[in-house]
Amino acid sequence: MHTFYSSHHGWLFGWLRKKLGCSHNAADLAQDTFLRIIASRDALIGMQEPRAYLTTTAKRLMLDRARRQLIEQAYLAELASAAETVGSYPDPAEILLAVEALEQISYALEVVSDNARNAFLLHYLDGRTHAQVAARLGVSMRMVQKYLVQALVKCRLAQA
Amino acid sequence: MKLQSANAAAASTEASVDAPDDISADAAIVEQAAQWIVQLSADDTDRREAARRGFDAWKQADPRHAATAERLESFVGRVRRMRGADDDKNNARPARVALDAVFSAPGKRRRRTGSHRAKRIVATMLLALSVAVPAWLATKMYPLHYLTADVRSATGQWETRVLEDGTRITLNSASAVNLHYDAGRRALELVQGEILVDVAKDPGRPFIVETAQGSIRALGTRFVVGREADATVLSMLESRVEVRSAKQAVNDDGATIVSASQRVRMTAAGIGAVEQIDARSIADAWKFHQLVVHDQSLPQVLDALDRHRPGVISYDRAALEGIKVSAVLPLDDTGRALQLLNGSFPRLRIRTLSPYLVRVDAPAEP
Repeated sequence: MHTFYSSHHGWLFGWLRKKLGCSHNAADLAQDTFLRIIASRDALIGMQEPRAYLTTTAKRLMLDRARRQLIEQAYLAELASAAETVGSYPDPAEILLAVEALEQISYALEVVSDNARNAFLLHYLDGRTHAQVAARLGVSMRMVQKYLVQALVKCRLAQA
Repeated sequence: MKLQSANAAAASTEASVDAPDDISADAAIVEQAAQWIVQLSADDTDRREAARRGFDAWKQADPRHAATAERLESFVGRVRRMRGADDDKNNARPARVALDAVFSAPGKRRRRTGSHRAKRIVATMLLALSVAVPAWLATKMYPLHYLTADVRSATGQWETRVLEDGTRITLNSASAVNLHYDAGRRALELVQGEILVDVAKDPGRPFIVETAQGSIRALGTRFVVGREADATVLSMLESRVEVRSAKQAVNDDGATIVSASQRVRMTAAGIGAVEQIDARSIADAWKFHQLVVHDQSLPQVLDALDRHRPGVISYDRAALEGIKVSAVLPLDDTGRALQLLNGSFPRLRIRTLSPYLVRVDAPAEP
């Protein structure tokens, strides 16, 4: 691992810096990329194209971070605007757990079709009845149930 | 939570390693479990009751049924819990907004294919970061005129540049300038933010800073220009400049001379009254990346810190308006600056809700 790290770290850092235009983020991301690879263990054995593997891992990390940031910002913004009227903020620890849960939910539902995901969120998250979901989406009740089943079958459940 | 997901992952690996024949059987089980779960929350009470009984019997028929049911139900439970304990529909709103932000990112679906797609999706999501957020956050995002400017600094960063004529400019957080140098003049357009200018002498080509509110012509000199929403603020450190507001330019009136240790504010209405400043402490503040405030309201100070911070500082302006601050605060470590403020004003409550959001308030004393 040591030789792998020393022979590719500089290269990956350069690649990321060019891509991100910021050496601070690049250093951080390069570090995390290697950490993820170390954690996955299996990867190093007989690796044919280590650099392609590195960039793939780094890209996946960027995607995860972008997703997290998107969720966190939108969630906090909404909480903040709610707090203006209610006058109180939820506990920071609770917020963190919620953001983490949302991250996993969005990852799980990412592979589900738009219609099925919409039906799923309207029913389970917003708490609307099957009939309300049907009216909202302009489809039959049967179709709503089909969508819900589809969402459950297709989502990435290892996350749940 | 980590442990739980690790177990789930291990369980699914085992299942797929077991025997290839089982895969279609597994798919059938998942499908059946999903059918049952959907019936559990049908609109009709009788159907829900019947489903509850049928589902229980189905789970008991086979341990694999029970395991699959458990996985699916825990996912559904997790989504439902976002609504909060009292099951109020409004509680789901922040969660909904957050998920919509992810799923509304254009071209976001079908990421299972090739890596060039992944690349495009990263680009789209990063772009989405700057469009899919509510208005109050949007002020933290870089507008197009910033992104296309000749010289710019990121939020929380200082950028010093020596221009081709030897003039040195320093941009503080999230600032941007365009350069228009030609044979006759050296014009610098301040697009946003704040700059410190050390003008190099060039008798043949005057040096001019331009903004929407007017222009500042250097007479061999050092000064700071900052842009606010609809004003330009000029702080003179050394020597003098000739200022001409947009209004004066239209009426072809003469220029106003501003000298060292003076500050003026230009708006659409023209040039405001001259204010005395301590040029030395402002020069030091730029040198050491500090914010020097003298008897300013706390919201003004928080605004300045906010401008230097990648995240957002949220507070109730009206509630904090009465607190007056005189301080020297580090701008390159806004976290530390907030701590220092808290030290001087123990009544303040400063909570870091995430790297992106800090909430400042002053709870009433009991």
